Amino acid sequence: MDLGAQQELTGAEALVKILEEKGVEVLFGYPGGANLPIFDALIGSKVQPVLSRHEQGSIHMAEGYARVKHAPGVVLATSGPGATNLVTGLADALLDSIPIVALTGQIPRENIGTDAFQEVDCFNITMPVTKHNELIRNNSELVLALETAFYVANTGRKGPCLIDFPVDLLAAKFPFDFDERPNLPGYKPTTKGNIGQIKKAIKAIKNAERPIVLIGGGIVLSRAIPELLEFVRKSQLPVVRTLLGTGVIPVDDPLYIGMIGTHGNQLANDIVQKEADLIVAIGTKLGNRSTVAKGMFAQNAKLIHLDIDPAEIGKIQKVDIPIVGDVKETLQIINERIDEKPIREDVVAWKKGKKIEHMLPTSDNAEVLEVVLKALSQMDQKLHVTTDVGRHQMWANHYCTNPKHLPLITSAGLGTMGFGLPAAIGAWFADRGTTVVNVSGDGSFMMNMQEFLVAVEHQIPIVVMIINDQRLSMIRELQNMKYGERHTVHDLGKSMDYIKFAESMGGTGYEVHHQEMIFPIINKAIASRKPCIIDFDIAKIANSAHLKALGS
Amino acid sequence: MRERHIISLEVEDKPGVLSRISTLFSRRGFNVDSLTVGHTHIPGISRFTIVVRGDGEVLEQIRKQSQKLIQVLTATDLDPAQSVMREFAIVKLAHSTKDEKGNEEAKAINEIVDFYGGRMLDSGHGQLIVEFSGSEKKIEKVFEQLQSYKVLESIRTGKLGMKIG
Repeated sequence: MDLGAQQELTGAEALVKILEEKGVEVLFGYPGGANLPIFDALIGSKVQPVLSRHEQGSIHMAEGYARVKHAPGVVLATSGPGATNLVTGLADALLDSIPIVALTGQIPRENIGTDAFQEVDCFNITMPVTKHNELIRNNSELVLALETAFYVANTGRKGPCLIDFPVDLLAAKFPFDFDERPNLPGYKPTTKGNIGQIKKAIKAIKNAERPIVLIGGGIVLSRAIPELLEFVRKSQLPVVRTLLGTGVIPVDDPLYIGMIGTHGNQLANDIVQKEADLIVAIGTKLGNRSTVAKGMFAQNAKLIHLDIDPAEIGKIQKVDIPIVGDVKETLQIINERIDEKPIREDVVAWKKGKKIEHMLPTSDNAEVLEVVLKALSQMDQKLHVTTDVGRHQMWANHYCTNPKHLPLITSAGLGTMGFGLPAAIGAWFADRGTTVVNVSGDGSFMMNMQEFLVAVEHQIPIVVMIINDQRLSMIRELQNMKYGERHTVHDLGKSMDYIKFAESMGGTGYEVHHQEMIFPIINKAIASRKPCIIDFDIAKIANSAHLKALGS
Repeated sequence: MRERHIISLEVEDKPGVLSRISTLFSRRGFNVDSLTVGHTHIPGISRFTIVVRGDGEVLEQIRKQSQKLIQVLTATDLDPAQSVMREFAIVKLAHSTKDEKGNEEAKAINEIVDFYGGRMLDSGHGQLIVEFSGSEKKIEKVFEQLQSYKVLESIRTGKLGMKIG
């Protein structure tokens, strides 16, 4: 029976109804006293609740989901510790512009401000790590708050929004008006780039002698890969990228140079720092890991900067031609106006004479990572690949090159260890036909390894590849470089048995300790379509490779 | 150059908006000299006048980052030459009542109040409460003049600013 726009429901029922209307398929969450009415209302609804084992796991799942689905990932936590456990994920989503709608239960309104059990000031704690947040004080605000959260999270520069719901309000009945729509006079993202600025940019490209394109995660977020490729084909500009600009242009494209930044390629860095006379930066915040240090970037180049967020333009680098707009829409306009250039044979020839050197942490058998990741890239099927944070991440960023596995799902801005496993689980929920792979390190894996149980529970075809060097290699590398090789707190020991861990949770564990096992085991684990963990014993593999080399 | 700038923010008067703005300014390391907020003639709209220090680039960031907040409707940089600015102050002073000199003291304070266009708000028990309003320079001058007397308490608002024309 249709009751029209206005319906008498509990707050929790109204919330679930809106989630259904928004097409939300899964909600990643963890229950508690203050959010149980929502889980209760989810029984029998179209929205599937996915129980994580820690709220941080829930929100990284929602992030992985959002990256694959190109729609907001929804996460639900309870008050107090539930809410504070979301903070890392919110910050991660804010820095990498991932659309998230986070819902938290709050203690009853009459107790707010009394330091009641499981009370924290969620609204103020999450304010600096969200694009927008609200504490609902009356049921009449619920529809508008949720509509606002979904709209704001997934428009303009995407990001996380959080709504805090006092539990008494979730349980109380109210005549909701579901036709209400927010009026947001202070939120009007510019999507179409200014035509005058676009003309200036096109002219500057035409007049430049050594122009290049720098691409960032904005291309992926705005789903502008075809437009970017058309722009590159027409303009024939060589391309460099940031960490999140992964998977936009194939690495074997004649115009592709490499990645910039502290762990980029020497050649790509030389170009953006010194050689180019014009840089067309698209969908990037020109963060400090990319531009390295003040005064290093664009020393001889004019800068055109196209981004959806006006505050990013001019924040780090002085810009000559700013263009505020959605990357996709604006590139469409540029593509209509730009002249087609003949194929740049000179770039290919020029690249041939150069060594594209990856700037990677290389100590302690790091070469094994290259072999492992190249083996993964040989897998011919479509995969969603996530990484964690550390040495393996930087190597994966260079050696995971199979276009069917990209864009890589990685925590760039915040560098959140423990991101990869839950993000891979979330990615699978967004695309259940595809196997997911988490390239991890032993340090990162241990930060959210409890979520492996979720993969087993849902029989997710996931392969967790642990690059196991029994240490925190990035920390060791830093201590080598900056602390006079005084090593401390980097040793993770050898006591963890990942095979037994996987088996104890009902998954499969593999150990790889010889070079020749790398490809077959990865292949077998992926083919099994079951939750697997592969423990790559880096020292042993290096040793086996060394022995083999001696033998031959 | 860390010059002073006056930012005027027109905001939707929603719960937490003050917190949002102060969080933003503190997180981004914007130095606030003073902050004044109050309702406008439009219901639901408040106005902040914030005095900050920083160079042109910092100012541009402050404006853009403030504008990103969903409750912020407009963020403008008030040019002092093109705006009117006012501050307000209340001062409590003690004066001696026992001898001739005490009355002299009260009289002298009264003269300062008159000269600077202030007002006497309360007097008695050897104390005076006076108010002043005007430009920052004028308020500074008043405080300088009152230094030779026994100031018990004082409070100043930040700036209120409005663009001319």
